[in-house]
Amino acid sequence: MKTHSLDTGDTGEEIFLIVDLERFRGPLDLLLHLIRQQDIDIFEIPISKITRQFLLAIRSMSVEQIDNAGEFMEMAASLLRIKARMLLPNTTMSDDDDPRAELVYRLLEYEQIQEIRAHLSVAESQRSRQFGKGFVSPINRIEKIEVILDTTWDEVYAAAISVTVPSINIVEHRVTTRLVAMEDKVDLILHALQRLKRVEFSGLLKPFESKMHGVMTLLAGLELARKRKVKLRQAKAFSELWMYRVSDSSPEAVKSQLNSSEG
Amino acid sequence: MRTTQIVEAVLFSSDAPLRSEEIARADESLNEDVVEKCIKELTKMYLDSERAFEIKQIAGGYQILTLSVYAPYLERFDTVPKSSRLSMPALETLAIIAYRQPIGRIDIEYIRGVSSAGVIRTLQDRELVDVIGRGDGLGRPLLYGTTNKFLEHFGFSDLEDLPRTEDLPVILKGEDIPDSVESVISGELETKNNEGIMTTEKEIDDLTDGGGVVPLTSPVE
Repeated sequence: MKTHSLDTGDTGEEIFLIVDLERFRGPLDLLLHLIRQQDIDIFEIPISKITRQFLLAIRSMSVEQIDNAGEFMEMAASLLRIKARMLLPNTTMSDDDDPRAELVYRLLEYEQIQEIRAHLSVAESQRSRQFGKGFVSPINRIEKIEVILDTTWDEVYAAAISVTVPSINIVEHRVTTRLVAMEDKVDLILHALQRLKRVEFSGLLKPFESKMHGVMTLLAGLELARKRKVKLRQAKAFSELWMYRVSDSSPEAVKSQLNSSEG
Repeated sequence: MRTTQIVEAVLFSSDAPLRSEEIARADESLNEDVVEKCIKELTKMYLDSERAFEIKQIAGGYQILTLSVYAPYLERFDTVPKSSRLSMPALETLAIIAYRQPIGRIDIEYIRGVSSAGVIRTLQDRELVDVIGRGDGLGRPLLYGTTNKFLEHFGFSDLEDLPRTEDLPVILKGEDIPDSVESVISGELETKNNEGIMTTEKEIDDLTDGGGVVPLTSPVE
């Protein structure tokens, strides 16, 4: 909140007006405030005094208010123009012509609009306290549809605890050389399948911690499956992945085959 | 079944103001006069039996609304919209448009002393004002006027519900910029005073008959 005290004294009297510029909705509002606060007769506005106060008030405007500064400046200019016209010897105009007339009219018109605005505000608040049909609805409006679940609670629970809560940390992407070679994983799978007829995918991951091992093992498994060196089986989505031995797959033979086909 | 109950049923089922001729469509036995009579009867019935609602005349029609004393109870429900009240600049601009329509942006800005394009757009977005014509001036400026929704928002029956300028503490003589201070204001009223307000019979008729807006009846000099 920006306040500014104004020395009104053109006669040296020390009256301070507190002007909170942000409160004013425009130059007319400010001007009217200055006039009303000092009980000035609107038909006898002391232009030089009011202009000085007006200029002092707008001098305190902050940079953020610069958008509206033009409007205040324009008003300051018209005030100065009125003063200039009042100082000029009155030759062309009749005695009735008062350079202040237009300003007085604008101020009164502005005041009248404020009266109407207040009326509208009251009407609006009264209307907003009355309600037509359809505003109050039952609290639970959403219809509950019975869905028969073929999932057991154990499955739901298992799924829930296996969900990794995404971390909100900003993920930094880094390009690094592959630390885990797919060839190693091919070896791992094939050696496992020499000992066993089938092997669990998750079992192959057990000794390793980094995610990259999982990724590479899966890629190796898929590649072997593509070459028909292993068979992959999964009972249903998200269940355990099994790798099965295919009869003629000795690790060395398969590996050389893989390498040659890639080249 | 009595005609009063038919009118009541129609009013009850509507969530917006209905004009009497719209209500009259419900039955051959109804016409506008009968509807008006029924509404008077219902209004008395509701009052006598201390109902929580009343029939209110809004935007040239009728609507059943709850009495404002029950607002605190209804506002406890989330589905009751919190009143979206207009800002001071919006009300100020609306006041100018309501009294001086059709009026262009430049004139609005002259009266307010501040630029008003944004406020006018907001009022247009809320359908409280609309372009109702174009002026004769340079570039044929857009002229704005209030809409039916404006009347609904403030609970006015028509523009005559707005306070008359002669009832306000500040009374202005006409719209011309005066030559002398003394001619700005005076105790006695001149007929010219009403020119700024669209409250002539014809314009009110146009408002209630027509669509959402007051039609442009005369171009602005």
